[in-house]
Amino acid sequence: MHSASAIALVGNPNVGKSVLFHRLTGAYVNVSNYPGTTVEVSRAAARFDADIDLIDTPGVLSLPARSDDERATVRALLHEPLRALIQVGDAKNLRRTLTLTALLAELGVPAVMALNMHDEASARGVTVDASALAEALGIPVVPTVATGGEGVAQLTRHLSDARKPQPLLHYDSTTEDAISELSQLIMQHRPHPRLAARGLAILYLGEDSEVEAWLRNATHEAYAEMMRVRTAAHASGVTPPALAHERGEAAGTLATRVTRRCADASPLLSHRLGQWVIHRVWAWPILFGVLFAVYQFVGVFGAGTLVGLMEDGLFGEVLNPIVTRLVHTHVGIPWLADLLVGQYGLWTMGMTYALALILPIVTTFFIAFGLLEDSGYFARLSVLSNRLFKLFGLNGRAVLPMVLGLGCVTMATLTTRILHSPRERLIAIFLMALAIPCSAQLGVVLGFLGAISFTALLIWLGVMVGVLILAGWLAARLIPGRRIPLVTEMPPMRLPVPGNVAKKTVGRLKWYLIEVIPLFLLGTFIMFLLNQFGALSAIIRAGEPLVSGWLGLPAEASAAFVMGFLRRDFGATGLFALSSELTAIQAVVGMVTLTLFVPCIASMMMIIKEQGIKIASAMLALIIPFAFFIGGLLNHLLRLLWVTGA
Amino acid sequence: MSHTDHTARVPLSFLLPGTKARVEAIDDAVDSTQREQLVAYGLAANRPLLVLQQRPMIIVMIDEVELALETDVARHVWVKRI
Repeated sequence: MHSASAIALVGNPNVGKSVLFHRLTGAYVNVSNYPGTTVEVSRAAARFDADIDLIDTPGVLSLPARSDDERATVRALLHEPLRALIQVGDAKNLRRTLTLTALLAELGVPAVMALNMHDEASARGVTVDASALAEALGIPVVPTVATGGEGVAQLTRHLSDARKPQPLLHYDSTTEDAISELSQLIMQHRPHPRLAARGLAILYLGEDSEVEAWLRNATHEAYAEMMRVRTAAHASGVTPPALAHERGEAAGTLATRVTRRCADASPLLSHRLGQWVIHRVWAWPILFGVLFAVYQFVGVFGAGTLVGLMEDGLFGEVLNPIVTRLVHTHVGIPWLADLLVGQYGLWTMGMTYALALILPIVTTFFIAFGLLEDSGYFARLSVLSNRLFKLFGLNGRAVLPMVLGLGCVTMATLTTRILHSPRERLIAIFLMALAIPCSAQLGVVLGFLGAISFTALLIWLGVMVGVLILAGWLAARLIPGRRIPLVTEMPPMRLPVPGNVAKKTVGRLKWYLIEVIPLFLLGTFIMFLLNQFGALSAIIRAGEPLVSGWLGLPAEASAAFVMGFLRRDFGATGLFALSSELTAIQAVVGMVTLTLFVPCIASMMMIIKEQGIKIASAMLALIIPFAFFIGGLLNHLLRLLWVTGA
Repeated sequence: MSHTDHTARVPLSFLLPGTKARVEAIDDAVDSTQREQLVAYGLAANRPLLVLQQRPMIIVMIDEVELALETDVARHVWVKRI
């Protein structure tokens, strides 16, 4: 009956959906509900049948869709040739699982339920009677522990028994009348090849924008009629929250019937740990410890040891001399040789930078990030930092892109998709472009200023934090729109599974290699062109009065600013090269201006991609003068305080 | 109030850690998307909860779900102590 050949995994966030997907396909996919990487629906051939496509949808808190992730999932339901659904449920949170089932069941797609994480449930004294649940829903229910592979074989076997689920509830009569009226209209004017009209009617009543867009393709008159029915229903109290409430109640009743709770289960270590990390006193030493560990791993081991081995050792001494020699002997055209291995060469600058300098740093960073993410710490960090971000018109959710920005601003810019409103995304991207130094730059700044004095480093840090707070505060007041208060679930603290962290890291690195390296190459190419046509030196000359007059730096330093656009750390390295000629004040002023000054070209392109050329240009037009303004101000202030120029 | 119950409705933000309460209503000051979100998380009418923490945010436990809410939201969630 079904010619379709796709099976979709659907479920709430953090239920282990992507781990299960990986188990069923053997292909790598990002494990957490971490938009920016899984908001695009991923797919792979099923391990048990290569003709079936398995589709991993982003986690949905509930349907009808409200977030980007939820819209992507509804889009998959509407447009993929689905033969079945695997709903991945959370055994310890059956009510939420079944609230989603209550809606999915109405769509009439054959389904199987994977009742995942039943190990976590039993650790909490919660047991679910899977066979009673299967009977109530009319579909196979298979208890699984995806992280350990438990139950996956049974799940595969039961896929052929997938059935259309029994409806979980009847809505009240006014609602049912509206549903059947809408179903009639849909069946007549816009029948869906796979999804039941009743399910679509319920989603439409609940104001699901994807279903709405799909129904709009009916004739104009038919859609107008649907709108009329919905407006009338809303007026008589059949509102989206009321529908959601009825589904929640039905789900709750069934969940209570099939769940047994052992009342005196002792508090778990993971639960206590979860409370310590947000404790009003203990939270801070723990946060400090975590930051210190991350710094040791990423800053010292990644940016120091590994970069040293790669940049000086592998590239500096081995690869680059070989490549340069090869190019010079085989490429007769001087400008072409220059393009490949010259000062702004695609290999000597672009690839060396991307592979020798950034790759080791982002690798260690992604490992650390993945560990923190899987441990459940990030959700708690957003609770801890919420008050700070409130000042910026954001909420604690923004801590994730901001921390990621300390690794790579380009990737972090993409990750702002997890923020709920366009306003939040704009503020976060702006603040990152302005005041968050990426790991490459941070390394040079720490090395450079640290060598001068601790005071120099503190002044730099103070100015950065001050600018971040000032700019955030201003942005929150100047950018129109409302701030969204934080409401977040805190997933249990878990010991990260090394395999999953490794898979995630590999996935992110793959992204880095595919998406970011071309940007570095393009950036290098632009620099090469600017240099070839003399534009570079013209820009440097034009900037000199500003650099030596207002900032009080030597004229040569203006080159560093142009460089800073290509590679954030390269500008800093350019200043570093001048360090013997610089006073302490000049060093601090130079570094502050460079850090604030434009983000690197790769992140600039990502900003254009995410926000459009107009907003990106506006940001640039704001950031460049602002960086010079703050730098000059600092220059004059420091000179006043230390008249001799230290 | 029609109930014989004499305990008063209070905002969730008033409760101290360790207090058990039952959700009465979420008022309209919370925007409708966020209200739906709260219901989906399990913070729905008639459901029991336990307050775990007050600072830095209000943290409640509903069944096995730990939920953190900003005071701006919690003061619009009406509950009765149980």
